[in-house]
Amino acid sequence: MPAIKLDGLSKRYGDVVANEEVTFDVERGEIFGYLGPNGAGKTTTIRLLLGLIKPSSGTASVLGTDIRDRRALTATKARVGYLPDTLGFHERLTGRRVLAYYGRMRGDERRDELLKLFSPPLDRRVETYSQGNRRMLGIVQAFMHDPDLVIMDEPTAGLDPLKQDRLHQFLEQEREDGTTIFFSSHVLSEVQRICDRVGIIRAGRIVDLEEIEELLSRGGKDVWVRFATTIEESRFRTDQMIDLELLGDTARFGYTGEAKTLLEHLVRFDVLDVDIGDPQLDDVFKHYYGTEAVAGTA
Amino acid sequence: MWPTILEIESRRRVRGTVILTAGFAFITAFYLSVFQDFAGDAEAIADAFPEFMFEFFGIEAIHTVEGFIAAEVYSFFWVILVAAYLAYVAGGTVAADIDTRRMDLLLANPVSRESVVLQKLAAFWVPLVGLNVAVPAIVYIGSVLIDEAMNPVAVIMVHLLSIPYLLVCVGIGLVCSVLLNHARSARAIAFGSVFLLWLVDGVSRLDPDLEWVGIVTPSRYYDPTAILVREEYAFVDALVLLVVSIVLVSVALVAFVRRDI
Repeated sequence: MPAIKLDGLSKRYGDVVANEEVTFDVERGEIFGYLGPNGAGKTTTIRLLLGLIKPSSGTASVLGTDIRDRRALTATKARVGYLPDTLGFHERLTGRRVLAYYGRMRGDERRDELLKLFSPPLDRRVETYSQGNRRMLGIVQAFMHDPDLVIMDEPTAGLDPLKQDRLHQFLEQEREDGTTIFFSSHVLSEVQRICDRVGIIRAGRIVDLEEIEELLSRGGKDVWVRFATTIEESRFRTDQMIDLELLGDTARFGYTGEAKTLLEHLVRFDVLDVDIGDPQLDDVFKHYYGTEAVAGTA
Repeated sequence: MWPTILEIESRRRVRGTVILTAGFAFITAFYLSVFQDFAGDAEAIADAFPEFMFEFFGIEAIHTVEGFIAAEVYSFFWVILVAAYLAYVAGGTVAADIDTRRMDLLLANPVSRESVVLQKLAAFWVPLVGLNVAVPAIVYIGSVLIDEAMNPVAVIMVHLLSIPYLLVCVGIGLVCSVLLNHARSARAIAFGSVFLLWLVDGVSRLDPDLEWVGIVTPSRYYDPTAILVREEYAFVDALVLLVVSIVLVSVALVAFVRRDI
């Protein structure tokens, strides 16, 4: 039995389609990445799974419980962890009190172990927390009752890169221990790095599975380079570059090849400055689907 | 062990309760301290005010300490200030949690929506018990201190019979909190509704032809002057209020279970 099974799950607000016929399975013990640009409907799916909102049609099951069975879903939540995109804590409580509060409702046997990895200042009030500290407190509460399934909505938002890596490592280790992880992200590279399988949502609809491979391969990196002198396009362009724009002494392009090859290519030129980053998923979609706008609701 | 949500919600009600109690201690002390001076001139003062003022606030026998305290402390401060405050606070209970997304994390626990609402409601024991123990004690002891001892049974009854009335106001707040999407509007509408209902009751008393309009207002079923001055205890009215408050809470429960968050 899959950990999560979505079956034609739909949510409409009047004419606005937030989720339309969303169908996929998340197997037990895997890390499933739920990828989509902002506003594609990722959060809607997650809120449907947790019973916070009710489907317009279709259904889903979480750890074998139909989400339309309210009472059974309430009981199942003892085995589910949840990290929302926006973390609403009691601001005037200290982090320690917040954890004690949730701990009393569903257990906290792994609390101390988690606090060694993710260490928000427990004796300070949550209202003084930075985004990163809030996120860490959220991660601890999501895992402290040792759930079988953890649903995370943009879990790395607000975390510094070091803590992001730590979270990724931690998730991989949790998977080894049999926990199922379902997490949403709009960052392609993050999903590529740690997920066993990926579902992509765009404007409320799941992108066909056969398209995913190609879509991901289009991801690559966003590269920006400044040279000491103007350079010739014919000399600079390689096959792995997409959307190359040369403007005076700067170049901007998407790069789909190996990082090593790119660096070897760049050092042949008189490079003053370089910036290599992840492309916006919206850009990848735009590239893949043409110029059609990516629409939908959060 | 206490249910977790009830405990944390109860703690959140403590500060307001303490401030309100202190406020009532001050108001009561003030009015009791001026009572004897006032009583001497009561008739002259009463003549100076137009008749409708007395009907509006349901004031009578203002030259007695019972009538005076009923008019000054209960008919206004208790009936409208405490009621509107409780409606305001109740208006925020659910809506503020939804507004700040606290509700997401709360409902991620194995706890039903009914339980969330009922525990938040139950936390109103703090102001209801706190105020209804402290204020009658202050009023009674104060009246003894100025040698105008009031009937302690009537003082207790004026509080006991106010509890169903205050529960209706909490119920109004809870319904607003569940139906409206923003804490600010839920609080404002809850506060405004209770105030408006009180106003309708008062205005409808002024014209015998319109008095029936006030039948739908909760304050019509709680009359502190009747309790303190005439020692009339309207248990049936209290029962009516209790039933209405149960209906309001049921409406809030059903609406909260059905709604999207």
